Order: sequence, then structure tokens, then C-alpha cells
Amino acid sequence: MTTLRAFTCDDLFKFNNINLDPLTETYGIPFYLQYLAHWPEYFIVAEAPGGELMGYIMGKAEGSVAREEWHGHVTALSVAPEFRRLGLAAKLMEMLEEISERKGGFFVDLFVRVSNQVAVNMYKQLGYSVYRTVIEYYSANNGEPDEDAYDMRKALSRDTEKKSIIPLPHPVRPEDIE
Amino acid sequence: MAARGHVQDPNDRRLRPIYDYLDNGNNKMAIQQADKLLKKHKDLHCAKVLKAIGLQRTGKQDEAFTLAQEVAILEPTDDNSLQALTILYREMHRPELVTKLYEAAVRKVPTSEEYHSHLFMAYARVGEYKKMQQAGMALYKIVPKNPYYFWSVMSLVMQAISAQDEKLSQTMFLPLAERMVEKMVKEEKIEAEAEVQLYFMILERLGKYVEALEVVQGPLGEKLTSELQSRENKCMMLYRRLERWAECNALSCKLEIVPFDPDDWQFYILYFDSLFHLIDQSWAPPQEGAHSAEGEVHASTAQAISFMKDRIATEEAKESKHLRGPYLARLELIRRLRVRSCPEAQQLGEPLELMFQFFVKFGDKPCCITDLKIFLDLLTPDQHVQFINRLMEAVPLCAPGEDGVALPGDTRALQRHLCVTQLSRSLGQQHALNTEGKLGLIKELKAHYQHGLQFGKSCLKTELQFSDMYCLMAAHVYVDLWLETGDQNMLWQCLGLLEEGLSHSSSNAQFKLLLLLLYCRLGAFEPVVDLYSSLDAKHVQHDTIGYLLTRYAESLGQFAAASQSCNFSLRFFHSNQKDTSEYIIQAYKYGAFEKIPEFIAFRNRLNHSLHFAQVRTERMLLDLFLEADISSPLEESVKSMSLCLEEDDIPWDSLRDNRDLTVLVSWDPKDRQLNEEHKQRSLEEDTLWLRLRSLTLRLIGCVSALTHPPASRNSEKTTENGVTAKPSSLQSLLSQLENTLNQATQLTEKQPQYPFVGPVASRLAQALSSGCCQCQLSSLQLPLHLQELETTGLDESTELQTQISNLFKSLAVQLQDMLEKCKGDLLEVKDGQSKPQPFLLENLVYFVESVCIVLWVSNYCGSVLRPLKSTSTVTPPVLSAYQEFSSSLQSLLNQALEHIKSQELSLTALELGALSLEGQTQSEAEETFTKTAMDKVHSSYLRSLQEIGELLKKRADTLKSLKI
Repeated sequence: MTTLRAFTCDDLFKFNNINLDPLTETYGIPFYLQYLAHWPEYFIVAEAPGGELMGYIMGKAEGSVAREEWHGHVTALSVAPEFRRLGLAAKLMEMLEEISERKGGFFVDLFVRVSNQVAVNMYKQLGYSVYRTVIEYYSANNGEPDEDAYDMRKALSRDTEKKSIIPLPHPVRPEDIE
Repeated sequence: MAARGHVQDPNDRRLRPIYDYLDNGNNKMAIQQADKLLKKHKDLHCAKVLKAIGLQRTGKQDEAFTLAQEVAILEPTDDNSLQALTILYREMHRPELVTKLYEAAVRKVPTSEEYHSHLFMAYARVGEYKKMQQAGMALYKIVPKNPYYFWSVMSLVMQAISAQDEKLSQTMFLPLAERMVEKMVKEEKIEAEAEVQLYFMILERLGKYVEALEVVQGPLGEKLTSELQSRENKCMMLYRRLERWAECNALSCKLEIVPFDPDDWQFYILYFDSLFHLIDQSWAPPQEGAHSAEGEVHASTAQAISFMKDRIATEEAKESKHLRGPYLARLELIRRLRVRSCPEAQQLGEPLELMFQFFVKFGDKPCCITDLKIFLDLLTPDQHVQFINRLMEAVPLCAPGEDGVALPGDTRALQRHLCVTQLSRSLGQQHALNTEGKLGLIKELKAHYQHGLQFGKSCLKTELQFSDMYCLMAAHVYVDLWLETGDQNMLWQCLGLLEEGLSHSSSNAQFKLLLLLLYCRLGAFEPVVDLYSSLDAKHVQHDTIGYLLTRYAESLGQFAAASQSCNFSLRFFHSNQKDTSEYIIQAYKYGAFEKIPEFIAFRNRLNHSLHFAQVRTERMLLDLFLEADISSPLEESVKSMSLCLEEDDIPWDSLRDNRDLTVLVSWDPKDRQLNEEHKQRSLEEDTLWLRLRSLTLRLIGCVSALTHPPASRNSEKTTENGVTAKPSSLQSLLSQLENTLNQATQLTEKQPQYPFVGPVASRLAQALSSGCCQCQLSSLQLPLHLQELETTGLDESTELQTQISNLFKSLAVQLQDMLEKCKGDLLEVKDGQSKPQPFLLENLVYFVESVCIVLWVSNYCGSVLRPLKSTSTVTPPVLSAYQEFSSSLQSLLNQALEHIKSQELSLTALELGALSLEGQTQSEAEETFTKTAMDKVHSSYLRSLQEIGELLKKRADTLKSLKI
């Protein structure tokens, strides 16, 4: 029970209830504008009947088609605390997958902090599996050690043999990922 | 940085090291290397430009510009030079020069696709839409690629959007754009989705909805595939514009049931809207054939009721994952039927019962309160108690413990109970309680809070505690009590409770926000700095919630923190201009045409931000208060700000209030919630205050311009002397300030009140009551009279001299009055309880601000009077008045400094630990948190006093320069 619509610049002025969460990054304006200019269809916001923003997903399509690496990528997904446990994140993921299907992607992928068990479990439930671990992907700013990320993937229908999600045997470094 | 691919070019090889130095930030070496290279290869223009970049980055703007122009004048056509110049001009914030550069390049190499394309983008960066249109077409003629053609079309649309004359848009630009697209359609040359989108945009702006519908539904519409439901959404929008309610109804019906998202609220709303339009029009289905192009239409209340019943039946039949939409839509339908006084509303059921059922199904979801809140007005006031009792029956609680509070056994039960409590507050039941009742409620909420903590023992520190909201609500009730009774202890306990909450749930933003607000209201800014920084607010948040910080910092005398918080915001705003231009260009490249006007509107929204204008003005004032005539002369400080006295740069008529005024959670009943009038009032108040400050700033600028340095002072009386401020601008600014002050007085007489968690009141009321506005105005009036005296001379000006003398006297009295209003204990201890009096602190800051201004003005007065002294044998009255005034300033400042010192001493001596919190129901642990909060306030007061004292001391040191 939500209105799902394209995210617009004006939403940046209203998303505090979502972004004041400690795990949700507020990026610089250029970052949002880049996504809005390049992949507007991948930036979707959910709005409650009272007008509050409930959550949003921001993503992109990238990778080489020839190497069967063309895919949808989830850059950010966040739901405000009061709108959790409604399946909204799953809904937004489903939409991103559908858009990626239409674009002929082979898979959808995302990065998540290894410590963020809640999110990792949710993605697993949605059919994602850990493809590889990226060492020290998240840089910490307060003297704490950098944190590893899981690169999680879900194959789309174009990848009939699900080749894209066969886990890598070894972890990789951030500079080795494309 | 530049084209590095062509290794074969020897020049590239030569330039490479300079690029590397620049990339690594080693500008000095880059300059040296460029010089070396230029010795050998005089004509290697690019080396010059790279050197200029190095110079620019080391702060030698003028040198850099001269060097760059040496190259630019040659109209270079090599890639390296062009790209380097483009970078340089961008860094110089001179994007218009890039257009000149590429205009020359395409003139010399008219067939270059690359240069033409750069030229188009250069125009886009500065918004030269007409030239973009031509550049796009020129490009298309050289290389007939579709995107180039449509760049040109989009440039026409931008001309339409930016045209002052709407008629010109509608009769010239848009029709021309339409024809250009139609031409491509006829020739069957349409290739991309973006091109169809643009066509749609043009038709929509022309109001040609029928044509737009044909496009969307026709073969071209098949290209609209990126966005989900793109065609459906567009059709829906057009049906609404065309008032084709039958189609609108049928389509919303379909979208609600069939496709991707069966729970989309917007389609329910459209369904109801169209339904009632059809009923009002007595719509009847056609004799034969389909109801509408979109299928079956509902045009009667009976059909709508049965549709809702079907939707609910579908949900009821499901085992799990029930959707909330149908249930809430049913309530929405009841509301709409009631508005129309339709008795059929009853067929859908009794709202109380329906809301109860909703609660049974969804009460354990945190959003249940948000869902039900909007339908509470369907209940009659006499149903409220019954409603809450009914819901409470559906909350499984354990038997009451010894304190009489029944507690939930798991998180689901907790959430349900919390929801009922939230609803009860929303219905005003908590507000209706008397003091005793409220204290009892707080006790109960705290018990729930403490009890609920056990469920969250394994929570990570990034997660919230399940029972956090009880803590927050108890804090709200404390605030209610504080506001009602004025009992300071309520506030102390509230702070303690929130501090405790934060210790269990360190990332709860709501705790931090409320604490922040309360500390500010108490006049304690020191703890606010840490709280705000732990919110990790960044970028656009400096605009939306930055006001929480910048509103208070300076007014509470924490000058260093004030500077810093203004800087955070300013840095964000200044980067905006450059950033957005870049992405407008990207939007052209990717064909995201609908985003281009959106980005431009966004850029304007930030540039016209009220907060931007506020921090800009406050930052300049602050710099002057802190530095002018202390670390550098006033003239220099003013000069470095490039302040324009004649016209100001604040877009008064189009200021945008970007503050997020609902960032703090509130469950208050509707009549206590933030409404449009509050927002309007607050904007008005803040704008007035900004106007006062901006005028004051410009008047200070005038005073500085009048104060000639002694060297340029001629023995002959000239009024010019290269002074930029004319007496006329001084006069006009003064009368504007007077007018604004009158408006401000009228506004504050109305005493605007806001909900506690709504907008923060502006500084207007306190500033007026402190007397600082009047005092600053009086002092700024002095220069005008002094100017007159300078022209008339001493002999013919007895009356004028008396006038000036009286002004001096009155100013001294005003300052003394202001100082009196600063006296008193910041933390007043009475009957073992401590009562903060933060307004004393604010008054003190206003006093210091006024002293700064009075000193600058006096300095000017001195500079006028000093030469007159020698021309006269007896001391003229105006001179003795001035001398008297400067000595009274001296004694005033001494008094103020003594007052501050004694406050510091008594605060330091104050043993807060010894203060009793007796009569309160706090546990020992709670008391510790309360004491922590008190200590924070205490320490913050000391720091404010220290900063204010230091500034005042520095100001007192400048007094000797007033001697004549």
C-alpha cells in the first residue's frame, strides 16, 4: 500500500527519515544526479498515503554484453525504520530485477557489508547468493578497520545455465573488481 | 586529464610529466616542468595552458588568466590545448570562455564532429539555448546522427521553458519543436525511446493531450520500455488531463488488480476520483460495445462498494502476506461517501470496527500508526475511549507486575501495545491528562521502555531498540509537562531520559534530534555539536536540517562552532552550481530529456534556498564581529567579502524554504500538528530576520566605506575621495532598515507559536526585546549626521551638533539598558533547584554585537571629528559629547566584562551534584543521566561566557583608537 514512482530531485529534500539511518549513506549531489541522468528508470521511491517517503532503490545497468557480464546493479536500497517488515525492500528489488530483465541483463548484483546480517539474510531469501568476498571494500573513517563486502548475485533468465553466479573460490581486492 | 592515448605524438610524450604533476597535486613541479619545456619549444601552447593550470591552483589567478589568454587569442585547434583550457576555465568559474574557444575552433575546422559537440556542451553549461539549437543542427548536418538532431529539438524546448513570454513558448518554440519531431516521424527515422519521450514532453507542454495519447498508444509508444508501466502511467495522466473519467476509472481498476503491483495506492485514489466524477456526470455505458477503451467502467456507488468487497475477499482468502491497500482503501471510500453524505457508506461497515480489524491484522507492523492516523477523523469524539479500549483487548499482555504495569511478552505484542499508545496520543488522550496523570503515564511508558530492552539485547549498534519509541514518547510527555507547568525539573528529567535512551540505542536519530532541540532551547550549544555530527548529516542535509545548527550557534555565543557550521553549509551550496551543470550535460548525452528542466529547477531551488542566504549573511556578519578592527581593519574585512552595497544578492521574491520541518517524529493530535500556516509564518519570520541582518551588514559596509584611511584624507572637504558608498545609499538602507524593523515589531506582536517539534522560532522576538535592533539602528544613523557636519563645518551647525550630541547620549543609555537585560544568573538556583535562563545569554550576544557596530561607527565619527578639533580654539559641544560617549563606552565594557567574569565564577562554584532532584520519581541510574545532561548545559554556558568575554575584551582593546 504504497505509491511507487520515479525518484526526483525534490525527493532529496524529503528523504531524511530514510537517510538518517546509520547504514544509509547520504551521497553528494553529483552522485544522485549521475544516476538520475543516466539510469532514471532504476531510481524508484515508495511513498506512503500520507506523503512520507518510505524507501527507495537506486541502481544501474553496466558490464560487457560480449563477455556476458551485462547486468543490473543495486547501488543503494533503504527503507525507513517505520516502514520495515512490509516486504517493501523485496518489492523494490523485484522491480529492479524486472527492469534488468527487460534490458537483457544476465544477472543482478549488489554489495553488502559482511556484518550486515539482516540485509545478507534478506538478499538470500530473495534468491541472491554470495558470488565473492571483496576485501576491505568499505573504508571506515573513525579509525576502525575497513570492512569486507559480499558481492551477491542472482541470475536472470538470460543466463540459462546460471553461470554468472558460480562462486569464486578466493576473495578479491577492490581494485580487481570492475 | 587530457588525451593520453596518442603515444605516437612526441608532444604528448613531452607534456606527459606535466600532466602527471598536476594530477598528483604537485603544482609547483608542473610549473617548473612547463617552463623547462617552453624554453626548448616556444610554440608548444599546451605547455603554457598547463602552466596556467598550475598557477591557478596555487592561487595565482591573474597570472594564470593572462597566460591562458595568450594561447586563447591564437585560437588553438589542438586537442591538448583545447581540453586544458576547458579545464582551466572551469576551475576559474568562467564557463563562458569555453564557448568562445570552441566557436573559434569550429570556425577553423568546420567539419569536426568533436569540436562541434564540445561547442554544444559548452553552450549547455551556460544555458545558451538558442545557440545550442543552432549548434545541434550544425552537428547533425556534419554527422546525421539522431541524438544531435534531438539535442537541437530539446534546446527549443528549453527556450520555451525559459521564455519570459508564455505566448512565445506556445506559439513559436514548442510548435517548432513539434514540427521538427514530426518530420522525423514522417520519415520514419525515430530510433530511440528518448526521442519518443521528448515528443511526448513537447505535446504535453503544448496541451495536445489527444495527440500525446495517440503517440503513447501507437507504434511509437512501443519504444517506451525502460520504465515499468511507462505507457500505463502516461495514459493515466492523459486521461486525467482530458477528464476522460471512464477510461481513467477502467484503467485504475485494471492496474489495481492485474499487473505488477496490486497494492499501489495512487490507483485507488484515481479510481475514487474518477468514480465520483462519473457519478456526477450521470455517466451511462454505451448501448453496445465496450464501456471504454480501457474496458469495464464503474460509475455507481454500488459498483464501487462491490469492487471494494471483492478486493477484500481476495485478501481474506489468502493465507499470508495480506496487502494493506484494500483495507485502507475501504476506509478511504467511507470517508469520501461521508463527505458526499451518501448513506451507502454504512454498507461498508463501521469505521471503528474496520480499524479494529485492521489493527488485528497489521497491529504488529511499525507502520500501523501511520496507516491508521489518517483515518482517525472517521471516529466521533465519543468513540475515542471505546476505540482505544477495543484495541487494547487485542494486545496480549502478561499479568501486571508489582508496579501495576502489564507488559508484553514478545516484540509483536510490544509493537501492538506501542501502536495503541501512539493512537491514544494522536487522539489527544495524553494531552487531556492532568499533571498527575501525565506523570503516571510517564512512569508507565518508562516501564515499557525498560522492559522492552531485553528483546534487543542482541541488536547491533546500528539497529534501533524495539522499545525506543516508548522512551521518545515519554520524552514528549515530559515536554508537554514542561510547557504547561514551566517546571524545569521536567525538562531536566526529559534530557536525562533521552541521554539514557541514547546510551542503549546509539544510532537513534530521533533521540539525537530531540536532544539537540532541547539543548538549544536551554541555550546550551556545546552538546549540540557532537549530537549533530553523530547524525552524520551531509550534503543536501546541510540545507534540509542544517538550520537546527545554524539557528542557534551564534546567538548562544559559541562563535567558533558557529563559523564551522556555516562553513559546512556554505561549502555544500557553493559546489552546487558547478556540479549541476555537469549533469545537465550528461542528461543531454544520455537522452534523459525530462531530467534537464528538473535539474535546472533543482539548481535554482538550492541557489534560492533561504538557509543559503541565511548562512551567507550570518557568516559575513560573524566574520566582522570576530575580526574587523581586531585582526584587520574593518575596510579590509569588508573588502575581502566583495560585499555589494548598492544591490543585494538575495532573491527575496523567490526564496525557497528547504527546511525539513517534519524530521522530528510527532504523534500529536491534528490540532497540535504542524500546518501550512505555521510554515508560512515561520518563513515570513525568518525572511524578516534575514532582511534585518542583510541590511545591517550592508550598512556596516557603508560605514566602512565612509571611514577613509587618513592618508587619502584631503585638507579640503570633499565628499568623494573614491568612496563607494554614496550618502544616498546610506540614507536608503537606513530607511529600509527602519521599515523592516516596524514590520518585525508588528509580526512579533502577533507572537507566532509553533508546535514544539515544528519550526524553530526565529531570533526576531528575542533580538527586539533585547533592544539591540533599535540600538543598532540608532548607531547606524550617526554617520549620516556626521556627514552633514563634515560639509557644514563647526561654525554654522549648533543645532546639528546638539542633535548629534543627543544621539550619543541616547546611544549610551540604550547600551546601558541592554546591559541591564543581560544581568542575572544564567543558572538560577532556587530552593535547591536550578533554573536555566538562556535568554540572558542571547541578550549578552546581542549586546556584544551592538558594541561592535557602535565601535565601528564611533571610529568613523572620530575620523570626522578629529580634524575639526584643530580648527577650533574652544571645545565645540559635539566634541565633548563624543568624548563623553567614548568614556561611557569604556565604563560599559568594563561593567559587561565584570558581569561575565562574575557569572563565570559563580557557575564554576556551582555544585550541580549538590542540587536535589527530590520529589521526583527517578531511579539512581536515571538521576545519573540527568546529572550528565545538567553538566553538559553547565559546561556549555561556561564556554559561551568565555567566548563572549574574549571577544568583548578584544573589543575593549580597540577603544583607545577612538581618542581624538
